[in-house]
Amino acid sequence: MPSTLAALPKGYEFPPTTFTLSCEWVDAYIDAVGDTAIKSLNPDLVPPMAVAALGIRALIEASPLPPGTLHAGQELSFHRAINVGEELSVRAKVVSRGERAGWVLMSVDLEVSAGDGRVMSGRATITFPVES
Amino acid sequence: MTVQRERVSLGVGDELPAITKEVTQEQLHRYADASGDHNPLHLDPDFAATTQFGGTIAHGMLVLAFISEMLTSAFGRDWLTSGRLKIRFRAAARPGDWLTSSGRLKKVDDARLICDIECRNAGGEVVLDGTAEVTVS
Repeated sequence: MPSTLAALPKGYEFPPTTFTLSCEWVDAYIDAVGDTAIKSLNPDLVPPMAVAALGIRALIEASPLPPGTLHAGQELSFHRAINVGEELSVRAKVVSRGERAGWVLMSVDLEVSAGDGRVMSGRATITFPVES
Repeated sequence: MTVQRERVSLGVGDELPAITKEVTQEQLHRYADASGDHNPLHLDPDFAATTQFGGTIAHGMLVLAFISEMLTSAFGRDWLTSGRLKIRFRAAARPGDWLTSSGRLKKVDDARLICDIECRNAGGEVVLDGTAEVTVS
């Protein structure tokens, strides 16, 4: 397995992984971002960006980010509301990788699914120094 | 065209209700713990001082969470079930920055609303911008 994200080539598919949206983790996330809107809808709902963050966390744990990595862009689509306690699986693939002026620009497609199908999809574009 | 919603009544060109939040270093540590992103650029002042930023900066996904909160406030559950966004990060957000997340309805296509969105710091600098779409039920 590559030591960091910097070593990943275009086409690399991350090992599929699963995670559970525990009440404790969701509360910690909401506290960290200071989201006051989600609880007003339903206390069992999870902020959609939390699902994205946890999906990305699964990738980072498989292939850590090089120090100094910057988030350049993000696309996300939400397909249904997600509740605390759900178990989700994430699949991801490096869809582009290029170099310019000493920096690598990499895009990773991400798909998060539950038992009933896809719940979130998106693309993260990151950049980091070539020597990472 | 005006779209009636329980939370907001919007016409093309109307602004979404904005939210303003302060970023703190302590918050970056809490976000790092939750997200698993312990990049020293966000957490280590000594490391961050050696970068082009000269100090720590906020996680992009934290700033994006502010945008999502603004859209959740505006569109409620519809944002959670049908939201779509595409953004670029334009500048760094730093501890001590007050960030205002805002949006404007650009187009209505049947039940699909398309909004320009952005987040600016107190100096007016754009931290991120892009578009968000949501289908209203």
